[in-house]
Amino acid sequence: MNSRAQFSNEMVRCSLLEKGDGKPFKPGDRREASPEWDKDKCIRCGLCYVYCPDGAIYRADDGYFEAELDKCKGCGICHRECWFGAVTMVMEG
Amino acid sequence: MDRFSLFVPNFLPSKEYFTPEKNQACPGCGLALAVRQIYKALENDIEKAAWETGSNGSSLLQLKRGKAEIMICLDNEASGGITEAVRKSDPALAVAEGVSYMATASPSYPFDLNEKLKKALDTAGKTYLHILCPCPVGWQFDPELTVKIGRFAVESRVFPLYEVEGGSYRQTVMIPKPRLLADYLKLQKRFSDLREEQVEEAATQVENTYKKLI
Repeated sequence: MNSRAQFSNEMVRCSLLEKGDGKPFKPGDRREASPEWDKDKCIRCGLCYVYCPDGAIYRADDGYFEAELDKCKGCGICHRECWFGAVTMVMEG
Repeated sequence: MDRFSLFVPNFLPSKEYFTPEKNQACPGCGLALAVRQIYKALENDIEKAAWETGSNGSSLLQLKRGKAEIMICLDNEASGGITEAVRKSDPALAVAEGVSYMATASPSYPFDLNEKLKKALDTAGKTYLHILCPCPVGWQFDPELTVKIGRFAVESRVFPLYEVEGGSYRQTVMIPKPRLLADYLKLQKRFSDLREEQVEEAATQVENTYKKLI
């Protein structure tokens, strides 16, 4: 381990110093909360799918919608735009 | 659950074209939402696409298919205060430049955007699209509100949605009862230090430009 790598371990937020250091990370890694669908309230209209900026929401086989957690950044647009309040944002511990 | 059989994505192509493995967009980015909807409308049937940087920090997207040449301005209002935010592109200018089709669109109205882009692809010659993309970081609001703020901008007549086709003007989204301009400005922290007189001044400016459009 060279001196630069040791230095980067001490830094809390900014540890991407070398080219290619960000490769193991995915867009969903910095998410604060993830959406969850209440299947009793959901009418499967698909508004959450239309308004997702990252294209993370897909239609499952049973017709309801689910989020691909590798892509979801937890912005909460689906929670805000759902007419029936079926989407709740659950904080990630 | 058989209350409704309406499925919104049936009106849009179901295949996803905007699928980057890693995109660096912030959560709730209006620009990413607009680009995704543009890709959906295009359906990968395009000859040439090129990105440019505009004068005021907005990004320009040039597209070519057959005879159609489309210039899309993705405006996130990166620079400028209230006067720039209130004043928007003039259709008269576009007509003077010899643009055969010109329209404004917002990612909060996805079907409107889809229809306009399809129309732009069908018309031969130069076309111009102006898209307002709310930016949660630059405008300083909660990433949840991206779509809501885009809708407020249209409802408060700051950014009316219209199209100019062959010299004739047509409004695509009618707003019979406009929202107060203060509602739109209050949500954004970048306008938090505005005084009431300034807001009233901006409101009169919005009304004047709207009357000019009609």
